[in-house]
Amino acid sequence: MSDFLSGKVTKRMLFATVLPFALVTASIQAMADGQWGSGKNLYDKLCGLCHAPNVGVGPVIAGRGLPEAYIKSVVRNGLNAMPAFSASYIDDKSIGQVTEYLSSLPTPATQP
Amino acid sequence: MAEQNSAVLPRGAVREEFNNAIEKFRALLGGENVLVNADQLAPYNKVMMSVENAAHAASAALTATTVEQVQGVVRICNEHKIPIWTISTGRNFGYGSAAPIQRGQVILDLKKMNKIIKIDAEMCYALVEPGVTYGQLYDHITENKLPLMLSFSAPSAIAGPLGNTMDRGVGYTPYGEHFMMQCGMEVVLASGDIYRTGMGGVKGSNTWQIFKWGYGPTLDGMFTQANYGITTKMGFWLMPKPPVFKPFEVIFDNEEDIVEIVEILRPLRISGTIPNSVVIANVLWEAGSAHLRRSQYITEPGHTPDPILKKMQHDTGMGAWNLYAALYGTQEQVDADWKIVVDAFNKLGKGRIVTQKEAGDTQPFKYRAELMSGVPNLQEFGLYNWRGGGGSMWFAPVSEARGSECEKQARLAKRILHKYGLDYVAEFIVGPRDMHHVIDVLFDRTDAEETKRADACFNELLDEFEKEGYAVYRVNTRFQQRVAQSYGSVKRDVEHAIKRALDPNNILAPGRSGIDLDTYKKA
Ligand SMILES: Cc1cc2nc3c(=O)[nH]c(=O)nc-3n(C[C@H](O)[C@H](O)[C@H](O)COP(=O)(O)OP(=O)(O)OC[C@H]3O[C@@H](n4cnc5c(N)ncnc54)[C@H](O)[C@@H]3O)c2cc1C
Repeated sequence: MSDFLSGKVTKRMLFATVLPFALVTASIQAMADGQWGSGKNLYDKLCGLCHAPNVGVGPVIAGRGLPEAYIKSVVRNGLNAMPAFSASYIDDKSIGQVTEYLSSLPTPATQP
Repeated sequence: MAEQNSAVLPRGAVREEFNNAIEKFRALLGGENVLVNADQLAPYNKVMMSVENAAHAASAALTATTVEQVQGVVRICNEHKIPIWTISTGRNFGYGSAAPIQRGQVILDLKKMNKIIKIDAEMCYALVEPGVTYGQLYDHITENKLPLMLSFSAPSAIAGPLGNTMDRGVGYTPYGEHFMMQCGMEVVLASGDIYRTGMGGVKGSNTWQIFKWGYGPTLDGMFTQANYGITTKMGFWLMPKPPVFKPFEVIFDNEEDIVEIVEILRPLRISGTIPNSVVIANVLWEAGSAHLRRSQYITEPGHTPDPILKKMQHDTGMGAWNLYAALYGTQEQVDADWKIVVDAFNKLGKGRIVTQKEAGDTQPFKYRAELMSGVPNLQEFGLYNWRGGGGSMWFAPVSEARGSECEKQARLAKRILHKYGLDYVAEFIVGPRDMHHVIDVLFDRTDAEETKRADACFNELLDEFEKEGYAVYRVNTRFQQRVAQSYGSVKRDVEHAIKRALDPNNILAPGRSGIDLDTYKKA
């Protein structure tokens, strides 16, 4: 696991959120497993840099209930300008986590 | 164990021999680090070039996590004559992405070797493994409140210093010429030996990341844009974070203004008044990164006519050329330099100066300021929304930082691109004495006819520029062999003599920069 993933920022981020105990344990478990620590971290550090509603480089992906299989397919194969990412870069577990995180975000005001 | 169903084989390889090598890779790395299934290999095959993906399909991909494993991979490759293509973070978009130069090469993916081995905040350097990203370094620096600043390529958040430097990439800060700031490499040679450049060979030395040259021949450059070794560690210098950072833009309305811009800039760059690798972006580069789309202005195919570019300028306030630069230092230093800069442009009587205060959070000023101050983003991917379709090849000839030369190149490139119905989307970057004239040959890769046109266009750009004595500083994998020819036969002979000496089995990235023992002179 890389330095930044085991870093304080990620931990602070997880603990700062008020979550039921079971969820906190689940998140810690996920952090240990997924390469990116959490779906939020992956979104904030990578996906969101193009896809966040205030960026507008790629289409908005938050809150649209995109299925994991679809997200995985685009991540692995790329799509036009969207680069492809191998499992060494974003592992399957992290794709699952980011899918969950995306569906927890509010639906965008205007669909892309 | 992953099922072996890769349909692709390395050039000249026999299936059984290849399978034997794969079995040895599995024993060395573990089955999960030897990828041969089509779905596992797909991410390595997403290219943006004017050629079908199949031409750059890998036969397998290996992920290694230690230097010993890299040595083991090299040993097996020698035993079975398997060619490997090494990537670090593999984000070489528009230059070949993560795909190998030749169909069938085995990718050695070092993304999982991602330790920041050391950052020395006093001596201002870092030593990293290949898989470390700029984003990761940024987080580390921020989290630990280190008084340091990064310099990176525009795909900053996801690209990495080692891979970028191995391709002699550039950034936008005073440390923007990245290979210049590299200090000390560890390289696994085809023999399996581990070679450390500079002071790295001296037992107990603490100056590996301090003093570049070491003693005797200094070979670091030989490993960049080359296939003589696999770099497993790299040191590079970091700029101390300045107390004051002052980004600014100067907007010029006319295409011809490039002559005066470059003339006024050169002395400011050479004297160090403007210390960073500046950018002079043309209207279409600006448009792409500010979210304009071609379809908003024109639906006809072909290049975008000049009157429309003028209309875009009129609608948005963008210039025909948009210069981005910054000042760094104490308030006193920045104030003094700012006066010199403002006086210079005032004297010229052209160019609207925009400061951060005036620009606020608008794009593209915001992302440009971030790139010049080491804050990662991916805003420049907006370029791909201009035309759509995901085709991109950088045509990047080197120009003298002389106004007349930059203008001559700009005119030549634009004429050729328009002939093929493509746009001139360009920026001049780096300096002080040279300008990397970086042109994004954007095309719709989902359109076979346009892809073919882009391919012909790129060939003509190379040919016509060569006739004028110009050549590119770097190129995508489709055209590396072609560009090698521009640089002369003696250079190629020397490069192949080195290759024979260091890698007689031709296992390391054959074809890289046109160096390939199997095809050289046989052609
Ligand atoms: C919108 C956009 C803007 C861009 N802007 C810039 C820019 O400002 N500046 C710039 O330089 N580029 C730019 N690029 C091009 C490219 O994306 C970057 O240069 C990127 O940093 C390269 O990818 P990487 O860092 O992941 O390196 P990698 O892809 O890992 O490596 C690049 C190449 O170096 C060689 N290599 C890698 N690792 C090793 C190793 N360990 N040993 C030996 N050889 C190795 C391989 O040939 C590899 O293909 C841009 C691309 C896009 C799409």
